[in-house]
Amino acid sequence: MRILAVFVGLCLVFMFVWERVDMVRVGYQIERLKHDRVMLQRERDELQVKFSALSAPDRIAKVASEKLGMGLPQQGQVIMVQSRPDGGPGPQVAPGEVRVAKNDLPGGRR
Amino acid sequence: MAGPLSRGRRYVVLLLLLCGFGVVLFRLVTLQVLQAAELTVKADRQHQKTVSLEGARGTIIDRHGKMLAMNMEVPSVFGVPTALDSPAKTARYLSPVLHVSTGELERKLRQDRGFVWLARKMDPEQGRRLERMPMDGIGVVMEGRRFYPKGPLLSHVLGFAGMDGEGLEGVERRYESHLHGEKRVTVLQRDALGRTVFPKGLAEQNPAPGHSLVLTIDEVIQYITEKELEEAVTRAHAKSGTMIVLDPQTGALLALAISPRFDPNAVAALGPDRWRNRALTDAYEPGSTMKAFVAAAAIEERVMTPTTMVFGENGRMAIANTVIHDHEKLGWVTFAQVIQKSSNIGAAKTGMALGDQRLYRYLQGFGFGQRTEIDLPGEAGGLVKNPRDWGRRSVASISMGQEIGVTPIQMVSAIGAIANGGVLMKPYVVSEIRDAQGRVLKQTFPQVKRRVVSPETARTVTTILEGVVTDGTGGKAAIPGFRVAGKTGTAQKIDARTGAYSATQFVGSFVGFAPADNPRLAMIVVIDEPQGEAWGGTVAAPVFRRVGEQVLNYLGVSSNEPVKLAMASEGR
Repeated sequence: MRILAVFVGLCLVFMFVWERVDMVRVGYQIERLKHDRVMLQRERDELQVKFSALSAPDRIAKVASEKLGMGLPQQGQVIMVQSRPDGGPGPQVAPGEVRVAKNDLPGGRR
Repeated sequence: MAGPLSRGRRYVVLLLLLCGFGVVLFRLVTLQVLQAAELTVKADRQHQKTVSLEGARGTIIDRHGKMLAMNMEVPSVFGVPTALDSPAKTARYLSPVLHVSTGELERKLRQDRGFVWLARKMDPEQGRRLERMPMDGIGVVMEGRRFYPKGPLLSHVLGFAGMDGEGLEGVERRYESHLHGEKRVTVLQRDALGRTVFPKGLAEQNPAPGHSLVLTIDEVIQYITEKELEEAVTRAHAKSGTMIVLDPQTGALLALAISPRFDPNAVAALGPDRWRNRALTDAYEPGSTMKAFVAAAAIEERVMTPTTMVFGENGRMAIANTVIHDHEKLGWVTFAQVIQKSSNIGAAKTGMALGDQRLYRYLQGFGFGQRTEIDLPGEAGGLVKNPRDWGRRSVASISMGQEIGVTPIQMVSAIGAIANGGVLMKPYVVSEIRDAQGRVLKQTFPQVKRRVVSPETARTVTTILEGVVTDGTGGKAAIPGFRVAGKTGTAQKIDARTGAYSATQFVGSFVGFAPADNPRLAMIVVIDEPQGEAWGGTVAAPVFRRVGEQVLNYLGVSSNEPVKLAMASEGR
């Protein structure tokens, strides 16, 4: 009986010590994970800033005009087509009703 | 073999043991009782670290979620001069990384202080370089820095945040209480190596970040507006320019551009003159654009109809010992033509027919002389004097846009009322405030300020203003395929030296809306001190057209010119 009591006492002491040591270990682990998270958040923010800067309209316009040779549509080149009210594919073709911009370019060019 | 200890020896051993325990006990009492308070403070100082935490400042996005302002943690470098062996050597070493001159760094490092900032809120890349070259007496801390990834885009609306993260201008300042993150001081435990252990309360949350703002601004419309305004200001060699695009049905601001622009990422070298939002802060004499509102008042009060005949006095009319001139000598013309031809004499006669009290009432009704209450800081109320302070010529002068100071935001709100069937809306720029999880905390809904004129009057004035574009002074504002209503204005500026109207300094402007039959955009263009031809119809109206054309296309607004599909396909 006495041996059992000593054994239980030792176990309790061991558990207490083990718990304290493990708390320290988990504490370090949490701190490391927090640090990792902060580093990842910084990387994410840095990428977000870069993405936003690269998608700025003036940069896109510059690339479109200087590198890709694109330009603003001329008068009449934009055609608005109403979508079908039933959601079906393609425009609602009714030439008398569909309002589209004139497709003539200035100077009679087409 | 040693025999049993003699009694004397046992006492000696016992005495030694007692002495030993006595010393330990004495030390224990000294440490735990007598020096307890002092040592506890010392231990806490070594084990604990007090840090000031601040949640990230909230983001600002446009109406489609495009990022306009956000925070990022960047490195700041400090020095501990008292811990340095050779300030000169350290300065030489750091200078190329920090982009600060060696002399400047050395001056800071030679100060008799325990802490000195060497460079704050640097680029992340600089921080990474510093991490690879650690040195005694130099430390790095991370601080939140505000980034405006689109550079100068929308700078006058966004404003900027200061070095310590507080909003100093624009939306950043107006919504400071929402944008800034939670500030908290917390105590952390650290081990012998300085690592944090057992953070106080493992469940403790990080300080809450600030709220995010969703603007009514459309990034693309803003870009188009800035680009066209910038080109117009450059072309006219003007001092500055202002343009506002508003949704007349809601009062939501779609774009607000000031030229010249500034980059909110680098404001240190700039002054208030550069970052001031002139669209709100600067009142100007509007000139002939005011005639649109005098016309609305006259029609509402049945003083005039579009067909009422008005004598143009052949371009010259004496009033109160002064003479009013028209740029075109007019005889008998309809009231609609008075507005379309921008006759000063016709407008003066209209104002006089209205009388000072009714004219004043409508000026107030359209919002002149009072703040629009837009949610941006620094708004001026403009200048509309009380009729009891008016002179003999005031009614005539005000009717043609003199003796009155208005801001561009007032003017575009007022034309928005005409476009909106006579109802004045409150302009606004922030549509939503969201928390860090994206939940909407506050939403701004369109707010009616008051009805100024009846829908019938608004329709009549719209027809007259369409005539300004089709047959009058605003021809260059015409957008192919769309009906446009608007009014030109060319106002002489007051010469600061003489106090009289300048013969060389003008403000050219155009205010209007499109499509006139279903208004989607109310816009104002103001060009300050254009050189050469300064007419509003010449310098401002073309900007209105170019912006209007691109924005209506962007918004997918159908043109008024129905053409059969067959024609369209022929062109391919």
